[in-house]
Amino acid sequence: MSRRTHLYDFHARNGRIVEFAGFGMPLWYEGVVPECKAVRNGAGIFDTSHMGRVLISGEDSTSYLNYVTTNDVTALGVGRGHLSVMCNEKGGIIDDFVISRLAEKEYLVVPNAGNREKDLSWLRKQAEKFSVEICDVSDEVSMFAVQGPNAQKILQETGREDLSLIPRFGGRNVDLDGIKATITRTGYTGEDGFEVFTWDSPLEQPSKAIAVWNAILDHGKVFNIQPCGLGARDVLRLEAGMCLYGNDISESITPLQARLGFVVKLTKNEFIGRDSLAKEKAEGAKKVRVGLKMLEAGIPRAECDILKDSQVIGKVTSGTFSPTINQGIAMGYVPREHSKAGEKVEIRVRAKNLQAVITSFPFYDTSKYGWQRTT
Amino acid sequence: MKVNDCEVSEELYYTKEHEWVKLEGNNCRIGVSDYAQKSLHEVVFVDLPKVGSKITRSQPLGSVESVKAVADVFTPISGEVTEVNAKLADTPELVNQQPYGSGWIAIIKPSNLEAELRSLLDAKGYAAFLKTQAK
Repeated sequence: MSRRTHLYDFHARNGRIVEFAGFGMPLWYEGVVPECKAVRNGAGIFDTSHMGRVLISGEDSTSYLNYVTTNDVTALGVGRGHLSVMCNEKGGIIDDFVISRLAEKEYLVVPNAGNREKDLSWLRKQAEKFSVEICDVSDEVSMFAVQGPNAQKILQETGREDLSLIPRFGGRNVDLDGIKATITRTGYTGEDGFEVFTWDSPLEQPSKAIAVWNAILDHGKVFNIQPCGLGARDVLRLEAGMCLYGNDISESITPLQARLGFVVKLTKNEFIGRDSLAKEKAEGAKKVRVGLKMLEAGIPRAECDILKDSQVIGKVTSGTFSPTINQGIAMGYVPREHSKAGEKVEIRVRAKNLQAVITSFPFYDTSKYGWQRTT
Repeated sequence: MKVNDCEVSEELYYTKEHEWVKLEGNNCRIGVSDYAQKSLHEVVFVDLPKVGSKITRSQPLGSVESVKAVADVFTPISGEVTEVNAKLADTPELVNQQPYGSGWIAIIKPSNLEAELRSLLDAKGYAAFLKTQAK
């Protein structure tokens, strides 16, 4: 039987369950399209407790994390976080995740659901020379994401702290209707929003996690909150141009190829993968991740060929229909010389070559959608 | 009649791949069943065949797609496509709303109707088949 999160009964009662990374999770409740729209126009809540929660603490926690991940952890003040990747010696991505600095010598790392065991064993293997403690609290801490332009207003209703003071990727401890939690201004949708970590909330005693979920739903009612499943989560992250591990990035892809160069700090101290990444940066990545927008009807899917002048130049790694822009969208890898936004290509969708254009991320109009929206 | 919450229209013929066939004079109207549209949930795109194309039974007629999934539609009847439901280009959700009505997919002028009809399920047979499918 697949594993279950605290909220499984809610999901089974209200949604369609699918298996994902060994967990029985909701694919959707009302539907992928209305759930995407709720997040872009109001708010959505996602159960993300299938992901990992790993606490890293101890004397060497900062230097250790700076050695196993590519971003510069010394730049993080307490209460701040950033996106990072963990690479092997060749610069291939073992996982991508957010690191939050909870205290001077304590960090929270959130691995992808499918990488929980792999990350833990890699993290432990690399820890031998450091004085650190690595503690997997995934099953003791619940995790939800509250995303959308109304997310702050909704969480504000559950406590007294002024949430507008929390910067993007920042976090703090809060009271959610009397329950202690940590929230971070992070997410996987491109919208403003928070991830909510409820401590001392073991899987076998789900009542506290359920209470937090229900409190957010109750306070969110007037702000049009909608429970959202993995279907909407995948579409929203694709619209925002974010990678899905296992599809768009893997151990055979480097962060430079994935256009995650902004999380690779080659000037900091020695870290795993640095030599390979420095070399690739000097030479220029041969293939890079691009956005692809269909210019005619049709929905690109993972594994579809990308063509230029009838020659296959790459493959789609994720594709979907975008309810926000009402078109087929995708991401994939092409040689750098064909990666410029505006370049026309074709995607072979179900035995037909359809016109598409290389597009910069995100796919939506950032003045109307996303955390930087102005309207 | 209803099986596991799915409507089965009495006057139609069906395949185990959940297409339906309606006899209309000399022609056959083709669509996908209520079970098919419920499994896909929100249809956001329908790939239609070309009018005039000649297709053989069990060949792809097109596809019905939701945000996350694709379902091939195979023609249950050989013949020539004489008409397609052009409305589905702008309103693919008709497949969800009226799978046996305005959500039809194509009309085919059959070339081997009598023999092929025998291999299809009638409503009773399809209902019995649905009962064997997981909910």
